[in-house]
Amino acid sequence: MKKKSVALMLSLMMTAGLLAGCGNDAGKDTGNAGADAGGGAATDAGAPADTQEPADAADAGDADADAEKEPITLSVFWWGSQLRNERTQKILDMYAEDHPYITFDGQFSDDYWTRLTTLAAGHTMPDVVQMVYIYMPQYVEKGMLVDLTPYIEDGTIDVSNVQESILETAHFGDGIYAICNGVNVSALFYNKTLLDEAGIEIHDYMTIEEFKDICREVHEKTGYKTSLSYGALTNDFLPYLLRGEGKHLWGDGALGVDSAEDLVPFFQLYEDGIKEGWHIDPSIYVERNRGQVEEDPMVYGSSPENMSWCGFYASNQLVAMQSAAPEGMDIALTTFPTSDAKASLWLNPSQFFCVSTDSEHPDEAAALINYITNSVECNNVLLGERGVPISSVVAEAIAENQSPDDQEVIAYINNVVAPNCSPIDPPNPPSSSEIFGVLDGLTEKVIYGELTAQEAAEQFFEQANAILAE
Amino acid sequence: MMKKIKSWLCKESVSGVIFSLPFLIGLLLFLIVPLGMSLYYAFCEYSILSPAEFIGLKNFDTMFHDEMFFKSLGVTVFYTVVSVPLKLTFALCVALLFQKTTRAAGIYRAVYYLPSIIGGSVAVAVLWKRMFAVEGTINQILHSFGVQNTIAWLGDTRTAIWTLILLSVWQFGSSMLIFLSALKQIPASYYEASTVDGAGKANQFFRITLPLLTPTIFFNLVMQMISGLLAYTQCYIITNGKPMNSTLFYMVHMYNQTFIYYKAGYGAALAWMLILITGVFTAVLFLTKKKWVYDGGD
Repeated sequence: MKKKSVALMLSLMMTAGLLAGCGNDAGKDTGNAGADAGGGAATDAGAPADTQEPADAADAGDADADAEKEPITLSVFWWGSQLRNERTQKILDMYAEDHPYITFDGQFSDDYWTRLTTLAAGHTMPDVVQMVYIYMPQYVEKGMLVDLTPYIEDGTIDVSNVQESILETAHFGDGIYAICNGVNVSALFYNKTLLDEAGIEIHDYMTIEEFKDICREVHEKTGYKTSLSYGALTNDFLPYLLRGEGKHLWGDGALGVDSAEDLVPFFQLYEDGIKEGWHIDPSIYVERNRGQVEEDPMVYGSSPENMSWCGFYASNQLVAMQSAAPEGMDIALTTFPTSDAKASLWLNPSQFFCVSTDSEHPDEAAALINYITNSVECNNVLLGERGVPISSVVAEAIAENQSPDDQEVIAYINNVVAPNCSPIDPPNPPSSSEIFGVLDGLTEKVIYGELTAQEAAEQFFEQANAILAE
Repeated sequence: MMKKIKSWLCKESVSGVIFSLPFLIGLLLFLIVPLGMSLYYAFCEYSILSPAEFIGLKNFDTMFHDEMFFKSLGVTVFYTVVSVPLKLTFALCVALLFQKTTRAAGIYRAVYYLPSIIGGSVAVAVLWKRMFAVEGTINQILHSFGVQNTIAWLGDTRTAIWTLILLSVWQFGSSMLIFLSALKQIPASYYEASTVDGAGKANQFFRITLPLLTPTIFFNLVMQMISGLLAYTQCYIITNGKPMNSTLFYMVHMYNQTFIYYKAGYGAALAWMLILITGVFTAVLFLTKKKWVYDGGD
C-alpha cells in the first residue's frame, strides 16, 4: 500500500511537471530576469539616462518605473552573412552595456522566412524583426507589425535627418511599419583582378549584348565562366530587365507583361550561356546554398572551369563578398545589364527593422531601432554593411572610418545609380515566392538543356498567370 | 473521507490511468490535437499568417492537377521500391556473416549498426553532400584509380537519386539486428538434420533459413517501406529536390508548399494523401502475405 502511494505521488508530480512545461515561457522569462536583476537594476538607474536619446525621456515620463527598471529580454531576429552576424551581435552587446536592464536574445537564421512565418503563426514573433520590402505588405496586412508613427511623432525614433522617400517605402495605409537600415542597389559584382589581367574593361550601364560579349571574352581569355543563377538578387534580375523595356513583372492579378515574348530575352541569356559554353556547370547549384557569398563560385572554386567572373548581388553585400574573397582578388561593382539603365535602376531600401505586435516591450524595441538609425557609435561598427545609413548625419560621420570597399559602394550609389534611376516598383504580390519557385525551376531546365528560352518563357507566362489568378 | 479518496485512487484502474497520464497528455497535446488540426486544415485554405478558411475538397482537386504531386510521388515510390529491397538484401547478407559468434562480433555489430543511428542526421547528410560533390571524396578516389571524367553525382538527373538510395542502403543496421535475432532463433537441429541428409550450404539457406525468416523479412519490409515513403531529411539537405525535381521527395514537396509557398492547407491535404497512400501500400503487402510468408506451418 505504501509503495503504491509513493508511486502515485511520483506520477502526479510528473504529470504536473509536464503540464507546467507547456506554459513554461513566462516562468522561464521571470527566472532569467531574476538572475539578471542583481547586476542590472542597481547600476541601471542613473547611468544610461544621459547617454540615451529621446527614448529614455519618453520612458521617464512613465513615472518612477525608470528608477528601478524591470529587467527585460529583447529578442532580435535577422538574416545575413557571417560579417553581419558579428557586427549585429556587437552592436547589441554595446547597447546592452548602456542599458544593463536589457538582455538581448539575438538570433540569425539561414532559413529566415520559414522560421519567421512559423513564429508569426504561433504569435511568438521576436520583438525586433528584420524585414524586406517585398514581404512587408503580407505582415502589415495580417497586423503582425507595430505602426511606428507614434514613436516617430514623440521622437523615440528620430527621423529628422532621413529623406522622406526612404521613410515612405515602409508606408502602408496610414502607418509607417518599419525603419529602413540603409539604401542599396542591385549590383553586378565582378572579379576586377581577373579582368584587369586579361585586359578586359567593364563600363557601367552595359546592355545585354555587351554583357554577353564580355562573358564570351572572359571565357576565351581566362577560362572563367559566368554564373547567372547563384547570386542573392537573381530574382530581381527579371523585373530589372523588364523595367528596361518599359514593362513591369507584376500587373493587376496577372503578370505585367503582354505576352511570353517579353520574357524570352531573360531566358535567352541562360540558353546562350549554356550553348556557347560560357555558363558555369549547373551542378554547382545543387551543391551550394544560393546567395551565400562565402560559397559563391566567384570566390570559391578550384579552377576557372568551376568559377565565375561575376555575380548578381545587392551593393551592400560587396563588403562581405570582398572579405570572403581570397587574398589579392579585388571585387568591383557595376550595373546589371539592361537596355535602358535609367528605367531599370532603382534605389532600394536594403532591409528594415520593425517591431512585432507580439512584442511585450515595443517602447524598448523602438528605442533600439532609433539607436541603429541614429547612433554614430553604432554605425561605426555596422559601417554600412546593411546599406548606406539613411540618416545623412550618420552617413557622413562614419564615412572616414569606412573601408575603401564601403566607400566604393557609396560612390557607386551616389555617382552611378542615384543620378540615373527610376522609382521602385510596388511590393510583390503574396504568391511571388511560389512564382519565383516556378521561375527557378524553368531557368534550371534551360541550363540543363531541357527547354529552349522560348518554351521556358511560354511556360512561365502561363503558370505564373495561373497562380496570380487564383 | 480521506480514506475513501485514497482507496479510490489506489484502485487498480484509477492508478493505472494516472500512471499513464504523462504519456496520455503528451499523446493528446502533441499528436492527437495536431492530427485533428491538420485534418481540418486539409479542407481549408490556410496561409499560416491568416486564419484558415474552409474550402471543402478544393485542395484535393488542386492535387490532381498538380504536376509536382505526381512527379514527387513517382520519385518517392521509385526511391522506396529500389532502396528497400537493396537495403534488406544487404542487411541479410551482413547478418548471415555475423551469425557465427566470435569474440569481435559485438564490436562489428556495433560498427555496422552505427550508420543507422547517425544516418538520418543532418550531419551525415551534409557529409554525403560533400562526398558526392564535383570535388568531393568520391571523385577524388575515382581520379586516383585513373578515371578521367569528373562526374557531377548530385548535379546529374541520372545519378542524383542514386546517391540518396545509397545513403538509405548504408543505414541497414536496424534491419540487420532484427535479422540477426531471427537467425539465432532458428534451431540448430534443423541444420544438423539436413547436413546428415546431405544438404549443402546453399540448399540449407534456401530451404531452411530463408523460409523461416520470411516473417522477419515481412516485418522489415513493411517498416522500411513506411520510412522510405516518409523520407525527408536526406533529400532536403543533400539535393533539395534538384536537379530539375529529379529527387523531389513527397515530403519535400509538402514542406515547400507549406513553408515556402505558405499553402499550409494544401500541405495538410498532401500529408493526409500520404497517409492514405502508405495505408494502401501496407494493405497490399499484407494481402500478399499469405502467398510467401511462412506462418509456422500449421
